[in-house]
Amino acid sequence: MANILWLSAITCNGNSHSFLNLPSLEEFLGRHNFLYHTILPSTFSLRDIFELKVYESIDILVLEGTLDSDLKKFDINFEDILVEYAKRAKYILTVGTCATFGGIFMQKHSNRYGFLYKNYTAHNRFLSFKEKSVSVSGCPILPEILAGVIDMLSSNLPLSLDEYNRPKSFYGWMVHNGCTRNEYFEYKIDNHNFGELEGCMFYEHGCQATYTRGSCNKILWNEVNSKTRVGEPCHGCTEPDFPKDNLWQTTKHMGIPAKLPLGVPKRAYLSLAGVAKAFKIERFYKNILEEGDS
Amino acid sequence: MKDINKDNNLPTKSNSLPTKPCPLTPTNSKTIEVIEKIEGEAVVEYSFDGDRVDDVKIKFFQSRHIEKILIGKSVNDALVINPRVCGICNHAHLIATVRAIEDCYDSIEVPKNAKILREITLSLELLQNHFKWFYLTIEPLLGFDVQILKATKPSQLISKMIAMLAGQYPHNSYAIPGGVVGALTPLEIVGFKSSLNSLIKIFQESLIDVDLQNFVSCDRIDVMLSKSGDMPRAMQTILDKGYTELGKSNDKFIVFGEGLFKSGKSIKTRVATNIDTKYVESFDIKQSEAKLATYKGKFYEVGPLSRAMLLKTPLIKEAHRKFQDSLFSRILARVCEVPRLLLYTQELIEQIYLNRPFYIEPKILTNGEGVGVVEAARGSLIHKVSVRDGKIEDYQITTPTQWNLSFNTKENPTPVQKALIRSKKSDPLELIFKAFDVCSVCTVK
Repeated sequence: MANILWLSAITCNGNSHSFLNLPSLEEFLGRHNFLYHTILPSTFSLRDIFELKVYESIDILVLEGTLDSDLKKFDINFEDILVEYAKRAKYILTVGTCATFGGIFMQKHSNRYGFLYKNYTAHNRFLSFKEKSVSVSGCPILPEILAGVIDMLSSNLPLSLDEYNRPKSFYGWMVHNGCTRNEYFEYKIDNHNFGELEGCMFYEHGCQATYTRGSCNKILWNEVNSKTRVGEPCHGCTEPDFPKDNLWQTTKHMGIPAKLPLGVPKRAYLSLAGVAKAFKIERFYKNILEEGDS
Repeated sequence: MKDINKDNNLPTKSNSLPTKPCPLTPTNSKTIEVIEKIEGEAVVEYSFDGDRVDDVKIKFFQSRHIEKILIGKSVNDALVINPRVCGICNHAHLIATVRAIEDCYDSIEVPKNAKILREITLSLELLQNHFKWFYLTIEPLLGFDVQILKATKPSQLISKMIAMLAGQYPHNSYAIPGGVVGALTPLEIVGFKSSLNSLIKIFQESLIDVDLQNFVSCDRIDVMLSKSGDMPRAMQTILDKGYTELGKSNDKFIVFGEGLFKSGKSIKTRVATNIDTKYVESFDIKQSEAKLATYKGKFYEVGPLSRAMLLKTPLIKEAHRKFQDSLFSRILARVCEVPRLLLYTQELIEQIYLNRPFYIEPKILTNGEGVGVVEAARGSLIHKVSVRDGKIEDYQITTPTQWNLSFNTKENPTPVQKALIRSKKSDPLELIFKAFDVCSVCTVK
């Protein structure tokens, strides 16, 4: 059982609400205790939190939202409170892309940042806490990932982390893995149109799933679906530079997507694409549910 | 990494207490209440004249400046950014955005399938809000133990139903100018209908055990109270505690969105339908990060009570006749939207035709100005955009909380100010306040 304290900086509360969608929420609440949560009943009031009246041990400090050096709540500097609890917590989870990398609310504000990172750059403000921090990025997070990390930490299971402190168990895959539109990518069928069941959004419509780390198509959202399965491009919301500009269009150089699948050299991509495109496989140009087809 | 089960690491009292006097400490004639577990948090400052509330100020802290962040971005990027205004009504922000962008076109064709899908997912989001608000916000303030799972079971099912159609919840961007991103198969339709039946069953087993169709035409409070369920129990408690005089406001209502609802304004029960968003203005408030919204310079209440007053919903008409715009009518109006929205969703899903288009590609938008209006859970939400050379030149968002929960002078009070002023110190002030339902995260600049 872990004592969890959930603190919000500048946020839309999206991670708080996404967490409520955890399918095994009942069991989770039976195992763990919220010293504070933004929505659920908790041991302490927000006033207690800001008056530093929490005397229980803190196993997990959850931070949601973008940090701002000037942010005050109840005339108290938010970062002073954050540091107090960060010192005492055994682990710190930065939950969501805002708390991890700065996210949307950092844009056009020079004094805003995530807990350890500002976009791709590590900053020193909270460096002393890095050892006990874990990044759980996403806009919002998948509830299964947050619960999984908390359970792994409280069972003393080892967490292997990537270069941005994200647990590889969840961020070692690309969002592309498990997408039901994968065949259209494999065979380089580049005529995707919105409003259809078919096609891959990589070539024209800005899909970032092949270079975005996450488990959206492995765990699935709300147990049933994902953005890319339904036909919405992945916007790269787990990555340090979310949101990039021009999210619905693939930037290309000489007709080739400017960003290629993670780690794939341009030459390898072009060779593969050339071979795949040489075969015009009829099935991929037909509607899946078309009447009278076999 | 350290072992979570070792050393308790308890702080000592002396090093963790703040040394300065805490700014939350009340003075003699003022009390300062922290309002939390709304969407975000706020501070309410009450000044008292003897035993009575003399004036109220509501302050929000965090500012995100999302309108500023949008400027200069490609217009469709707003479809991804704007749901992130709010974790609980993100979908309303998406639909308002897509409507505002589509309104920039001189003409644009949006297929009926897409319009219906958007209406379904929007209605589901309202339902999700209503369950969470009733069980997590209202019930505990009436003295009941909080029933977390009665909020989260339906809200999880509803989120799953949105995800079946729109990919995920929260924070999808499946509605785009010209329609929606994908198409459906019979599998989603049958899965959706089956989930909808489960949701109706949850409603009947938790909130009120009634036939939906009969209930929406019910006009008798005593009939509603005679049914079993947490809704009649809550409403009976409000009567038993004598709260029916509390929370009375300006008795002025406005609704901008349509769909299941009707737009117009209502001064007490006198309805006028010719309203126009061009008369909506919003102003900055000193001392707070929120804005306040007016129509032709006057304050109006938005939200479920306003929608019921415009629709003349039988049960709410009766509640208003007996208890005016008190917290009784306000709370009842919100919960009574649940069966209406369930029936509406049932009707809508029958109107999807899988062999017809879900999207028609529009021409590229270069310049234009547009307004997008939706009825979100807490009331009318208005987005205004201007586009130049395909980029966002200006963006303005007016949220329900700016209508209901901003503050002005005590002589010309906003809806929540009016509802609280003259209340007694001993009255359930937090209940009066939260009956409007605050969305702090939406409201701040």
